[in-house]
Amino acid sequence: MNIEIKSLHFAYPDGTEALKGISLTIASGEQIAIVGQNGAGKTTLARHLNGLLKPSGGTVFVGDWETTQHPVAKLAARVGYVFQNPDEQLFSRDVLTEVSFGPRNLGYAKEKVDALAQRALALTELSEKTEVNPYDLSPTWRKMVALASIIAMDTPIVVFDEPTTGQDAANVARIARVVAELKREGKTVIAITHDIDFCAENFERVVALSRGQILLDGATRDVLGQEAVLAQTYVEPPQLTRLGKRLGLKETVVNQEELLQALKK
Amino acid sequence: MSDRLSFHVQRDSFLHRLNPLTKLTLAFALVVVAFVLPFYWTPIFVLFAVIVPLSVSGKIFREFSWAALRLILPAVGFLFVMQALFQPIGEQVVFKFYFLDATTESVAYAFRNAARIFVMISAFTLFLLSTHPSELMSDLTRRGLPSQFSYVVISTLQIIPQMQAKANAIIAAQRSRGLDTESSFLKRAGALGPLVGPLVFGSLVEVEERAIAIEARGFTSKRAKTSLYEIADSKFESVLRWSLVALVVLSIGLNLWHS
Ligand SMILES: Nc1ncnc2c1ncn2[C@@H]1O[C@H](COP(=O)(O)OP(=O)(O)O)[C@@H](O)[C@H]1O
Ligand SMILES: [Mg+2]
Repeated sequence: MNIEIKSLHFAYPDGTEALKGISLTIASGEQIAIVGQNGAGKTTLARHLNGLLKPSGGTVFVGDWETTQHPVAKLAARVGYVFQNPDEQLFSRDVLTEVSFGPRNLGYAKEKVDALAQRALALTELSEKTEVNPYDLSPTWRKMVALASIIAMDTPIVVFDEPTTGQDAANVARIARVVAELKREGKTVIAITHDIDFCAENFERVVALSRGQILLDGATRDVLGQEAVLAQTYVEPPQLTRLGKRLGLKETVVNQEELLQALKK
Repeated sequence: MSDRLSFHVQRDSFLHRLNPLTKLTLAFALVVVAFVLPFYWTPIFVLFAVIVPLSVSGKIFREFSWAALRLILPAVGFLFVMQALFQPIGEQVVFKFYFLDATTESVAYAFRNAARIFVMISAFTLFLLSTHPSELMSDLTRRGLPSQFSYVVISTLQIIPQMQAKANAIIAAQRSRGLDTESSFLKRAGALGPLVGPLVFGSLVEVEERAIAIEARGFTSKRAKTSLYEIADSKFESVLRWSLVALVVLSIGLNLWHS
């Protein structure tokens, strides 16, 4: 299921022009990271994908649906959105009920709801914790519950807002495994992130936003190679990429493996 | 501090510069006078000779009249009609509504009561319009009110706009999980749990964190605190406050003597 954004403009009621003409096509099954400085418009863009915000100008299509024509509750079957703060959505007395909430809203049969919830719990390593009250878990595990509760909806498209912010290394690795599994299943994954290492290691395409416009859009390697342009939106390429540059490598490297390969040559 | 909840309107005026305690005393004194001075027209006099001119000199006449006409008048008007019709006093019927009748006496009685209530609400409206709650609280704390008390008042005022923002975030999150909040009333009523739950839990988590954070910064320390803002007070205002107190005592005395 493709996402087709055409000259999207958006202004908040107070007049802030958050998006100034974004055009973007995201193909089915792509892994794409959206980067850019604070206030660049990343969250505003992401919220258009499931219809939480409706364009002031231009169009957003998710598959054959234009977002203005469908309520959020219906778009939720196509686009899952993991919010940055899990405390803004957890309400059930145990993890299993929480994770089943989404698929139940989508009206799936009981067996399917159970199967989807179990799969999401396994993927987020929560299988042991199904009966715990989410508020008895640590903030990092609450984040995983929030993730699981969206993955359980089995949407073809999943959007993550700042998934790794405030997470410890173990949880970042867990989230990376979730992204990898979603990729294997052929889902589209879109992540807003400040974590440029996470972006370099898990995403094949990067879109850099700056002041409501697209600054760069392309393969991760090509985008992260453009240090000077990225500096305009206060994004620094990964340490490794900069090291590679300083070592005089011709190609841009974005992870350890590539750096080793390049050095061996 | 967000001002969405407090009625305070920032202006540069004589009224705004008065010490909060003076304004509070004034509001109380006006209410007592309006209620106990045994002259029929006292409340009307207080309203037009004191409260309205004060709102003008405080540069908040527009805000004050908006509140008076849109909020206070309808409520007080309702009270007037009810009392005029239901007070079983007087003989001279001026208006009949099925079995209810308003007499000259009941109308006069209802009018005075309504005027008193009008004075009461408008005196405090004037106070709230010209005084920021945190100003009042820091002044009272300086005068020996326990700081825990002002913390509770101030944080309650702060928490409501915060909760509004939070509620919006929660609604967005739950709609994204397929919760239907846009269609029928029944569906929306069923959506209450997922919306209220995180609001309450999240706020509890926040309140606890904040309590720990301010405790760690010595909030309950027994030493006298340094005040960050100097809240003006003067000999004149002190005299003014005591005169108001004297006025209150005088009106109560007059009331007792008169009856
Ligand atoms: N609810 C809102 N009302 C008004 N302006 C907003 C609101 N949310 C965000 N903005 C503004 O819109 C711009 C883009 O914000 P956002 O999309 O949150 O950026 P990012 O996620 O990249 O940090 C910023 O200038 C921000 O201040
Ligand atoms: Mg953001």
